[in-house]
Amino acid sequence: MRLLRETDFLLLGAALLTVLLGITMIYSATFYSENEALKAAWQRQSFFALIALLLILSIVFIPNKVLYGLAYPLYGLSLLTLLMVLVWGSGSGDLAARWLVVGPVRLQPSELAKITTIIALAHYLADYSRERINSLGVFLGALLIPLVPMALVVRQPDLGTAISFGAAFFPMLYWAGMRRLYIFFVISPLFSVVFAFEQFFQTPFLFAAFIIISAVVVHFLLAKLWITLTLLGVNLSAGLVTVYLWNSLLEYQKKRILILLDPDSDRLGDGWNIIQSKIAIGSGGLRGKGFLGGTQPELEFLPAAHTDFIFSVIGEELGFIGALVVLALFVFLIGRAFYIGSIVNSRFLSFVAIGLGSMLTFHVFVNIGMTIGVLPVTGLPLPFLSYGGSSLLANCIAIGLLMHIYTNRHEY
Amino acid sequence: MEPVDHNEQAQKLRHLLIVVLGLFAILFLRLFYLQVTTSADYERESEENRYARKRIKAHRGLILARDGQILASNAPFYTVAINRCSSQDFVAAVAALEEATGATITQKYNKKGPWPIHLKRDVDFRTVSIVEERLKDDWPLDILIQMKRAYPMNNLAAHLLGYMGEKSAEDVRRLNTKVYARGDYFGKTGIEKFYEDHLRGEDGIRVVEVDAKGRERRQISEHLQAARSGRDLHLTIDRRVQRRAEEALPDSLGGCVVALDPHSGAILALASKPTFDPNIFVSFQQQEERQHVLQRPDKPLLNRAISGTYPPGSTLKMVAAIAALETGISDTLSTFEACAGSLLVGETVFRCFKRDGHGELNLMQALEASCNIYFQHLAQIMSIEIWGDYAARFGFGQVTGIDMEPREEKGLLPSRQYYVETEGWTQGHLLNLVIGQGAILVTPMQMARYVAALGNGGYLVTPHLYKVPPSPQLIEGISPATLDIVKQAMRRVVYGDHGTGHRVQIAGIEVAGKSGTAQGPKEEDDAWFVAFAPYEEPTIAVAVVVEGGGGGGSVAGPIARQVIEAYFDIDSAKATAPPPDSSTELATYATAARN
Repeated sequence: MRLLRETDFLLLGAALLTVLLGITMIYSATFYSENEALKAAWQRQSFFALIALLLILSIVFIPNKVLYGLAYPLYGLSLLTLLMVLVWGSGSGDLAARWLVVGPVRLQPSELAKITTIIALAHYLADYSRERINSLGVFLGALLIPLVPMALVVRQPDLGTAISFGAAFFPMLYWAGMRRLYIFFVISPLFSVVFAFEQFFQTPFLFAAFIIISAVVVHFLLAKLWITLTLLGVNLSAGLVTVYLWNSLLEYQKKRILILLDPDSDRLGDGWNIIQSKIAIGSGGLRGKGFLGGTQPELEFLPAAHTDFIFSVIGEELGFIGALVVLALFVFLIGRAFYIGSIVNSRFLSFVAIGLGSMLTFHVFVNIGMTIGVLPVTGLPLPFLSYGGSSLLANCIAIGLLMHIYTNRHEY
Repeated sequence: MEPVDHNEQAQKLRHLLIVVLGLFAILFLRLFYLQVTTSADYERESEENRYARKRIKAHRGLILARDGQILASNAPFYTVAINRCSSQDFVAAVAALEEATGATITQKYNKKGPWPIHLKRDVDFRTVSIVEERLKDDWPLDILIQMKRAYPMNNLAAHLLGYMGEKSAEDVRRLNTKVYARGDYFGKTGIEKFYEDHLRGEDGIRVVEVDAKGRERRQISEHLQAARSGRDLHLTIDRRVQRRAEEALPDSLGGCVVALDPHSGAILALASKPTFDPNIFVSFQQQEERQHVLQRPDKPLLNRAISGTYPPGSTLKMVAAIAALETGISDTLSTFEACAGSLLVGETVFRCFKRDGHGELNLMQALEASCNIYFQHLAQIMSIEIWGDYAARFGFGQVTGIDMEPREEKGLLPSRQYYVETEGWTQGHLLNLVIGQGAILVTPMQMARYVAALGNGGYLVTPHLYKVPPSPQLIEGISPATLDIVKQAMRRVVYGDHGTGHRVQIAGIEVAGKSGTAQGPKEEDDAWFVAFAPYEEPTIAVAVVVEGGGGGGSVAGPIARQVIEAYFDIDSAKATAPPPDSSTELATYATAARN
């Protein structure tokens, strides 16, 4: 009885509901396909979901402290698998090698590595007191933990996934007690890099405005000239780095970013996905065209409808209302994760929860943002909904971990 | 670890949730904009989806004869098609089309297409002009120009070329391929199948802007992915030889001619009767003819050159002769007991075709007159292993490796083991095998390369139509002297006093050959003739078989002669005929020709 009371059925229920919705929409997205393998995708996803459910339940019952002890070994193991991908990996075209093929199983190690990286970072941060978090040495040490897998994944090359490794970093540092000023100091150059991207924004004023406003705000808050000047210097040099970073991107990555500005400039090439996805979602209207009623995947206008663009199918068939239900489910899952992070007694587990919640936020925002044309096309799947075993398993492991944390919330 | 400060964390939690809600607000607003504010625009775009990707069919490679004559090409035809529309519009448009042209349309509406739906294929000009001038403006109808395979020489070389068939939707689904689309034609047999990949090329894709009725408005040129044409095939076929071979074979009987270059193995002619017109397999009107050809009991589609197996009769005797000479069982001078028309071995009587006997013969004379008794004497002192070994060296019982479909038959070269497992072994079987009777089965293609090897100095060639095979291998263990003896004997078949192949004589060209009259399961014997010419340096080797034709020399021989004449461009009518036969000689041939 106690165990039942201590289990977070709300979280489990919301996650399972999302997975079931995903399987249903995968069925719909592939319904009109003439490819038998594709038509059976929903069956495979259901199979993965069953495995995932078993995985969730087994993770819940892991004894407390075991996770803490395993944090670094699991992290090391993940780095090893990422290395293996670089050496033996196989990809779906000639572009990115993201999978490891072991017999009949095709694994995408980066999906699991995201979670082990969060656990390792949680372990690291839990070992330092709040005061020491704000020292440069500890900060650099923490930075190293996501940076190593990021570097390995960038080499695959998979920029979207690489960036997602960093997604949990700042929220976790903030949770650990890092001063907001410091966080701003570290994040603002990143914004500068983006805003200085003249080819995209087609104006230098955004960059200038950002630097000036941030400097004024910092100066107003702290009234220390040297800090303001340092901030200005850091941001200016970050802006200069933009050109170099841009040139180091691969051609297709550049195109994916630039096409956002004007998808119509290459309607039938790089703009195709964005346009067709927007048409699918937009034409769904308020109530949608009904289950199996979408014409975009049926006419094969919408590529990867059952994987990266599953949200477009939802938008088309279930409409604005269905899309809002999906957003609400995700807000609940994310909010629940953060809430769990705020009530547990163990700092380590608290960091893990915050990290998992942040990662989920990032994935949902980047994927849905892509389907509605506000973010560039990346290969990031929509958690619980997109077809794909590795992603589903990784996200369900996250749910399992959150439930595990909830169950052990009174422990130290 | 230090304890958690829950108050502080509650505050941080609020901050994090504010950030999350901020991000979701962006998604919410954008979704609202797309799905509520501007939904109507996207709805229209989804309806129209003004762009369509279309396949550009690759041009299928031509098949040409040695002299460049086109044997298989592509011909345009017109199809009435209907573009994407509702089922009401479909029914109305079809009714209008039927009324205007008088045609009956059986094609049903299918929401999934594939669009445009083809209503009637291969229509005449009248229909084209009616659609273009009267119907196109009111209905989503369109005229498509498509290509189909065409065989301008009709029946010529039909078996060799093969024919095409249509890929069904089921095929395409099962193959899970992007190479073929529903309704594509592909080689089903013959050269068309064997060289399918070579001929097919690669389809391209073009993107077109279409109007509301689904008709092409303009091509988006920057997204053109050009089709890659299939490559042409220049065959080794000599058109004159091929045509003459087909004309020479009787129409009433099944039969086959294979002619090849004895040095390279290049096929000069491959004729099989009865034959068919491959055009009927790509026609949209000739369904009945197609059914008829498929159901005829005399199997016009059977490529007898590689799929027909026959006992070879006396044409096989050279194998036993070579085996005897090489192993020292006999020589050119030795004779056996005189042929008296029959031979009693154990309790079995073996008969020679010449009832009153050939008398005492040596090996060369026995080949010339095709005496069975001589070879059956040989068979009594030879082992089946030795004979079988030499037969195998000439490629019997094995595929020749020719580059065409369907997969060729290997025939049957029986071993002692074969008989042990079937009817039981006695030496009597070998007595039948040496004269090409009994269980042995060969294909005309095997016979052609066998006679080529006898003529070319003992090289086993790989017959081919296009792809140059590895160079011919010298057959081991056959001395030039032995081959020369057999060649001389084969010349005497055509020119000797007692030869069975006088009808193969050609003015100005020295021919060597061998007749065969094989008793098969059928009532009438199969007539065989194998030959090569010119005698000294042969440039053509021929194998002819006529099912149930009767005498090899009298029926198959003249066919072989005509084929060789065609090759050397000799008009047999104008050329001085072979020395006129006296009536007595004719009588002799009549009997002799039985073998």
